[in-house]
Amino acid sequence: MSELLRLKGIRKTFGGVRALRGVDFDLVQGEIHALVGENGAGKSTLIKIISGAYRPDEGTIFLQGNPVNLESPRVAQDLGIVAVHQEPTLYPDLSVLENLFVGRFLRRGYWLDWPAMHREAERALTQLGATLPLRAPLQQLSRAQIQLVQIARALLVEARILILDEATAALSLEEVDRLYRILQDLRSRGVGIIYITHRLEEVFRIADRVTVLRDGEVVGRARVNEVNQEWLVRHMVGREVGAMYPRNPRPPGKPLLRVQNLTRQGVFEGISFEVREGEIVALAGLVGSGRSEVARAIFGLDPYDTGEVWIQGRRIPPRPWEALRAGLMLLPEDRTRQGGILGLPVRWNLTFSILDQLKKGWALDKQAEESFVAEAIQNLSVRPPNPDLPLLALSGGNQQKVVLGRCLLVKPRVLILDEPTQGVDVGAKAEIHRTIDALVGEGLGVLLISSDLPEVLGMADRILVMHRGRLVAELPRGSSAETVMKAATGLLEVPYVR
Amino acid sequence: MYVDRARQLSILGFLLLLSLALSLYAPNFFQLQNLEDILVNTSYLSVAAIGMMLVILTGQIDLSVGSILAICSTVAALASKAGMPIWAVFALALGLGASLGLFNGLLVTGLRVHSLIVTLGTMSLYRGALIYFTQGDWIYDLPSDFRAVGLGRFLGVPIPIWIALLTAVLMSWLLTRTPWGRGLYAVGSNPMAARLTGLQPSRILLAAFTVNGLLVGLSSMLYATRFSAIQSNTGIGFELLVVAATVVGGANIFGGSGTVLGVVLGALLMSTIGTTLTFFRVSSFWEPTLRGFFILLAVAFDTLRGYRRGVWRRGGAR
Amino acid sequence: MKLWRASVSEAVLLGVLVLTFLVMSQLSPHFLTPQNLLELPRFFAEVGLIALAMTLVILTGGIDLSVGSIVGLSAVVLGALHQGGIPLPLAALAALLVGLGAGLVNGFLVTRVGIPPLITTLATMAVFRGIALGISQGRAFRDYPDYFFFLGQGYVGPFPVQLFLFGALALAFAILLSQTAFGRKVYAIGHNEVAMRFMGHDVDRVKLAVYALSGTLSGLAALVLVSRFSTAKADLGQGFELDAITAVVLGGTSISGGVGGIWGTVLGLLVVGAVRNGMTLAFINADVQQMIIGGVLVASVALYGLMDKLAPMARRGREVGREAS
Repeated sequence: MSELLRLKGIRKTFGGVRALRGVDFDLVQGEIHALVGENGAGKSTLIKIISGAYRPDEGTIFLQGNPVNLESPRVAQDLGIVAVHQEPTLYPDLSVLENLFVGRFLRRGYWLDWPAMHREAERALTQLGATLPLRAPLQQLSRAQIQLVQIARALLVEARILILDEATAALSLEEVDRLYRILQDLRSRGVGIIYITHRLEEVFRIADRVTVLRDGEVVGRARVNEVNQEWLVRHMVGREVGAMYPRNPRPPGKPLLRVQNLTRQGVFEGISFEVREGEIVALAGLVGSGRSEVARAIFGLDPYDTGEVWIQGRRIPPRPWEALRAGLMLLPEDRTRQGGILGLPVRWNLTFSILDQLKKGWALDKQAEESFVAEAIQNLSVRPPNPDLPLLALSGGNQQKVVLGRCLLVKPRVLILDEPTQGVDVGAKAEIHRTIDALVGEGLGVLLISSDLPEVLGMADRILVMHRGRLVAELPRGSSAETVMKAATGLLEVPYVR
Repeated sequence: MYVDRARQLSILGFLLLLSLALSLYAPNFFQLQNLEDILVNTSYLSVAAIGMMLVILTGQIDLSVGSILAICSTVAALASKAGMPIWAVFALALGLGASLGLFNGLLVTGLRVHSLIVTLGTMSLYRGALIYFTQGDWIYDLPSDFRAVGLGRFLGVPIPIWIALLTAVLMSWLLTRTPWGRGLYAVGSNPMAARLTGLQPSRILLAAFTVNGLLVGLSSMLYATRFSAIQSNTGIGFELLVVAATVVGGANIFGGSGTVLGVVLGALLMSTIGTTLTFFRVSSFWEPTLRGFFILLAVAFDTLRGYRRGVWRRGGAR
Repeated sequence: MKLWRASVSEAVLLGVLVLTFLVMSQLSPHFLTPQNLLELPRFFAEVGLIALAMTLVILTGGIDLSVGSIVGLSAVVLGALHQGGIPLPLAALAALLVGLGAGLVNGFLVTRVGIPPLITTLATMAVFRGIALGISQGRAFRDYPDYFFFLGQGYVGPFPVQLFLFGALALAFAILLSQTAFGRKVYAIGHNEVAMRFMGHDVDRVKLAVYALSGTLSGLAALVLVSRFSTAKADLGQGFELDAITAVVLGGTSISGGVGGIWGTVLGLLVVGAVRNGMTLAFINADVQQMIIGGVLVASVALYGLMDKLAPMARRGREVGREAS
């Protein structure tokens, strides 16, 4: 089987973070090549380079032996490389048929030839063994159907390389089976497929080869039938577990946060758990399992249909300011867009959540603000330590510190941390973990939402696992990565009852 | 193509109800003259509303259409009085409208400023310029060939209706059968994707504003030719009426969806309401209130139904 | 903490102001006389009050096109109630409350119903004006007690009363924006609304307050206007939104929100007021004046747009937040 794609020595740096440090990768015709690695390992960056969204700082890309310059997604698509993302570049108001052809409409003379496009679309769909409502607007389709649209589009442009990123994240079992069938069919036609997944059993189910990324480097590559899950986990996680996760477990105190039967139709159901003083409870699960949604509902950003949220013994309604007042704080997942305001100075960003307490009469107490800000900058070692710089000017890790600083200034008793170390370099990661451990040492309770398996295993006292909107397991500290993964993919034999 | 039949049917339903009520309380409403008035008003309004829809599809707006209407009407009338043949007057009105629209478009695409502010400015700029040149005078003694456009008939049907019909068919064709037409929808639906996939949103937007201006120029020919004089305050409040017709007709204010048929029905609805008010001698002071109210109703309905801006509006990603 | 565009623009604005005064003095010999200059505040006070509140609205990333109509509505309520026998102070209070109510309607539609501010206020601009016309049926309301005219026609020393009213409110707004938590929230919401929610703030309440302020100040402007003209009619305030928005935009407040301030608006107001005054003294037609102001708006937007292109860093910080919604 001939070589389709080869990457040599790919390097990519963002700001000060080295996302990829000399990655080699290859793909042959007619294979499904799985790409695995924890969050932040560099998978997203790698496929963005392959699909033309990013350009590498160093390194070469060869397409069927010839070096190519993938300047844009358009160029990559013209060369036969198509990526299927979670957030596709498609048009929700346009019909399915249009989305299949937008940018390359079939014409008869100057006019658009809808009947021809209809025929082509039907043909592609038959090949996929699927049906789609061609006239409906894209936004009416389910996630699985939208995925089909993307794959059908790939077929229509005669893609030779198909990239799938967490494709089965939100699919039902039947939809997953259908997807596997389609991929296997494509493989038999010689298409090369790069398949990114967190679900390790998928690797063994459909992939031919697997490459493991960690911290921007390739740490393992093998034929799937020559390795097992343990090999995968070992390569993904690495050996630094100890130093990265400074954890001094303590006996927990009284409950700080109690969630009872929280339900939001279609998103999550019957969520009940507790977080007590001095403990770190991890909320693990795959992309799409509903963890962030639960967090937002607890904090009051989104409504919920039934259920109760109790903070320090007080029932609170779904309003963020009520949650804050009761002692709960949320550190959001997307720090640059949700956690802080980039265009405003660090000083403002740090004090936003305590703004209403910083008053002297009707005016802001700027002196008090000064001291809070100085203290926060020092405690968290924010660099550079200049509160008048716009948040934009700081590195990713330091931005995260500022956001954490803001959350801590509220003096919360319970913290919900949503992916606190995502995209953060190793050094800052360890610091953040130290801080979290120190916090619970002072009696706080932390709900840690994380897709970083080693982080979950290293930091948590208890591990709650969500799968498709439900809590499916509560595992103790010391559980194996395998067990957590099994629960996250819905394969755990022991049912969870609370 | 995706077509929102529900909206079109709702408008028809509303009109049906209105007709029912009228037939009970005021059956003499249904004289030929009244109905013809409604259709002729619908004609020039729908032409302008189709133009506005082009702009709204891309997520922008054009508040200067009233002033463009005034300028085109005035210049056309003056040119006709000066002896220009009627086909040339048409060309002049359309060309002038297109130029004014182009200017709007250049400001929006060149400066990356939202059309709200730009057209708020040009609305005053254009009207002020007009008054400066006309000194506020009304234009009387309009030539017969000029007035024939608005008052004449072809096969018994008033000419404006024919022209509006042709325009609607042509524009519908353009919107569904050309890449540019679908490009308008794409740019409004997901501007980021449009840029990434090489659709050139700036050019599409520029064309939208220009064609809108051209259609307002055409509308002015259907409108001004029905009067015996061109007043100096022509077109004041026109932008409100046009936006009402467009939005009630189902064009999503956030961009990305709308149909010619819907907009025409919206224009029909607004014209019917206007004529009904006049028929019942309700003070014309209430007209702007009703128009504003309908806009709010239509957009509130769409918004609450979930027609929000935002690429993927369903559930969280994680 | 200054959140204006670079202080270069402050200097430029002052330069523009000086230039305007020079040009206006050429248009009419009466312009630079002390009598005229002292009377200037009288003419731009009403628009000025509105522009102060409009600054806040635009800072949050919104807009209020209905301010002129609220002026008309409040004026008519004042006139109608007073003519109906209600004592003037109560009628004036009612007029202010009507302004407040109208602003709350705008705020409600924007925050709870979710209609974009542009469309909301375009529609309410028509609705409020229509209601005013409907109430007044084209009549004018006169015959106010003499003490009422002090507001619009009186003096304190050599200065018109409006100067102090406007000055006091401008100061109050400036302090509100720079020294209070509310002010900071206004700026922040204009930058990134989504993040503000995550930080625990009630964004809807701030927006509601901002539109309510806009409506209330329009009501206040109506009182001053009626006092100045001695008549209340439904068409009062027409075109005020143009002048107010021009003043705010000229003064450096970005139409997308997050950047700007009161002192810029004040400078912008001085320019707009001087231009209006100069043109009136030169007997230039009201519609032509409209054209000039429209031109000023387009020109300032163009200039600031160009400046933003040359300094993309500041804008990027805002845009990242915008995409999050």
